[in-house]
Amino acid sequence: MTENAPGSGIDEVLTIRHLTKQFPGTLALNDVSFGVRKGEIHALLGENGAGKSTLIKCVCGAYAATSGEILIDGKPVAIAGPADASAAGIAVVHQHMNLVPTMSVAENIHLGEKLPRRAGLLDWSKIHRRAKEVMDRVGADIPTTTLVSELRPEQHAMISIARAVSTDARIIILDEPTNALLPHEVERLFVQMRALAGQGHSFLYVSHRLAEVFEIADCATVLRDGQHTGTFRRENMSHDGIVGAIVGHDGAVAERRNKSHARPGMIMQVEGLSGRRAREVEFDLAAGEILGLAGLPGSGADETMNLLFGRANRGAGRIKIQGREVKMRDPSDAIAAGIAYVPKNRLEEAVFHADSVRSNVTLPSLGKYLRDPFLRLVHRRKETAAAMDVTRQMNVRMAGIEASIDDLSGGNQQKVVLGRWLKTGAQVYLLNCPTAAVDVGAKKEIYELIDDLARDGKGVVFASTELDEYSLVCDRVLVFAAGRIKGELRGDDVTERNIMTLAAGGAIAA
Amino acid sequence: MTSTDSARPATTARSGFDWIIFLSKWGTLISLGLLIMLFSVGRPEVFMTVRNMLNILNQVSILGMIAFGLTICLVVGLYDLSIGAMATFGGYFAARFLMELGIENGLVVVTVLLLVMALAAVIGMVNGALISYLGISAIVETLAMSFVVTGVILGVSGGRTVYATEIPDAFTIIGQGKIAGIPNPVLILLLLALLLWVFLEHTQTGRNMYALGGNREAARLSGISFSRYALLAMGISGACAALGGLVAGANLGAGRPQGVGEVYLLNAFVAVFIGASTLKPGKFHILGTAVGVLLIGVINNGLSVMGVPTFWQYIVQGGILILALISASLNAVRRA
Repeated sequence: MTENAPGSGIDEVLTIRHLTKQFPGTLALNDVSFGVRKGEIHALLGENGAGKSTLIKCVCGAYAATSGEILIDGKPVAIAGPADASAAGIAVVHQHMNLVPTMSVAENIHLGEKLPRRAGLLDWSKIHRRAKEVMDRVGADIPTTTLVSELRPEQHAMISIARAVSTDARIIILDEPTNALLPHEVERLFVQMRALAGQGHSFLYVSHRLAEVFEIADCATVLRDGQHTGTFRRENMSHDGIVGAIVGHDGAVAERRNKSHARPGMIMQVEGLSGRRAREVEFDLAAGEILGLAGLPGSGADETMNLLFGRANRGAGRIKIQGREVKMRDPSDAIAAGIAYVPKNRLEEAVFHADSVRSNVTLPSLGKYLRDPFLRLVHRRKETAAAMDVTRQMNVRMAGIEASIDDLSGGNQQKVVLGRWLKTGAQVYLLNCPTAAVDVGAKKEIYELIDDLARDGKGVVFASTELDEYSLVCDRVLVFAAGRIKGELRGDDVTERNIMTLAAGGAIAA
Repeated sequence: MTSTDSARPATTARSGFDWIIFLSKWGTLISLGLLIMLFSVGRPEVFMTVRNMLNILNQVSILGMIAFGLTICLVVGLYDLSIGAMATFGGYFAARFLMELGIENGLVVVTVLLLVMALAAVIGMVNGALISYLGISAIVETLAMSFVVTGVILGVSGGRTVYATEIPDAFTIIGQGKIAGIPNPVLILLLLALLLWVFLEHTQTGRNMYALGGNREAARLSGISFSRYALLAMGISGACAALGGLVAGANLGAGRPQGVGEVYLLNAFVAVFIGASTLKPGKFHILGTAVGVLLIGVINNGLSVMGVPTFWQYIVQGGILILALISASLNAVRRA
């Protein structure tokens, strides 16, 4: 590992010096320093919450840094807003590209700029000519009259990059541009990025995929918990070194649960399950077992979770619950078969806003508290009693059972979302990032609740964006890469480092 | 940053009286009270009498039936613009079928009326099916359906009105009779309100509808199928609109092929949206819709009793809706 002294390189176009960003309660960036050279593709790595997005937002002017400075060509610049950033030659290509799908390539390239006119009317031939020039500069051969919606994902990325180049940006920040791309699309994007780097453009490139970093980056900087944990030049890049910097050397395996509750008897069997990305996923889940599905975004782990709940369309495969095959066309089939599901995005996919805790917690089990099967009148007292029972069991802190769900903290909302399945009699729990956006105390409580489910003999399938959670929660972890199960980890082998290595496409050295 | 827990402002810690929350809950009811007081003081001998109160209820009963049906649709999150045409449909076909049958038997008349409502429910369910299975926008689809329905009525009727002399009296009694001094349309309205209130608030079906309207994806992940409830909601809306229309026809003593339902379409939306800013801000509910309907009735009746020019009715009605929406959105903006 070579720490390149920041600001020392004469050819550095962007230098970050002692950058610190303090949010109320969290130190998002702690004295970060590194530099990006001219014509360099510089990867920025780190786990979720490591500070990558905060750093980018400071550089492009969305956040004001608490202290530290940003230098362009060795000269300090004040970046107070997006206008300052583009004046300094910095352009950001976001994950979702910010393109208007119903407009042509030419219109998208000129988005937000004053369009050329003739006699007061738009000069279309000039607009297309200018767009063509821009596309030629980045070496992309796309007709400028094509609608963006008709293009492939990597072409979207190219148009965004072209737009950045057209504003004479010398430093182009790519925020996970390859997330939505398939391998061959990534390949085509990289070819063009390399060509642009050859012309002197610099890239700061955020990614989760290590294999890609080794392929394209000249240099990689790693953040962990807001701190700069290493910068690796191409000749010093090693898989172990980078993974170590990402996950931390100490790798404290704190409070790992030692006792598995798995017992004989399969509760769920999955055979040859395939979807859009996931390919031939096979596994068995024992009663009382907690199984982790790990993988980088787009690896198929996430999609498998959705396939198991009938949320995504299944290409092929069979799912058996307690030996009986389940026809899964819709989540309601999964629920009927005894599957519970906690989605990844609580606020958008799970919470019924402006509604009471009671109705949030009883919704899927409402059929159990009816006065009659025909009119389906709800027995309010029974319903309230059930809701009280669940919230007590889950230790939900609230003003009362009729309090609005929106007045609860994230952790307590999540307990409600998880708790709504307890009375449905579900045997298999699919938990997709159950601790996302939850504070540390609530996290611990949710881990304990998951453990309780397993002790009860339920089968649990768990996924998280925070890799260290797998070692705290799971008995066994399946690691996905490129749509397939790349490896299986058990017991003490379930470590952040091993998961990262498998997920990034490597093999664990024996 | 994943930890957002501590960043949440404590809503309970705010000291002092919260005017925005108060107004977003009670604003429309307070305006209703103020208007009633104003008119009572202005023309006590005319406005504040039992007769006039019953008169107001009678005047709004048809609007009320249509607005209650619309409430169900909006609970699920669907706009139904076909209710105007469906009301005309109900009024015309009830009169037309009864004329063709020519039977003066009360039971037969009621059966025919229920049949007309069932027919309207089927059309509503076709709306629901197109919207949910094909994913068409509800606004555009129901607008298109309203043209189709209007066209069918005009075609079948040839533009000719069915007159009182051609219709059995048992039909006109529904719109013009009274029981214990209370006009029949008011009784029908109250019955419908009670029925739909129980349905929405106290049955699993109603609760699932609220869940779908609140967060459709979360509802799907809780096993609630959107298409089933879309069909049901649009069916109820169609049937209620037809009921309103046939009561209007009975009241009028005629089956008119046009110009019946259009009047109610926009007022029904106004009433339901006023209702969604009453007591439970942001939520469509029967009690709220009832307040909205009453507000419209009181404004129209009171201003005409006071001798204020008609154009003021529109201005006051629109103004109150805008105020109601502002208070609701202020509340929503702060929550976000």
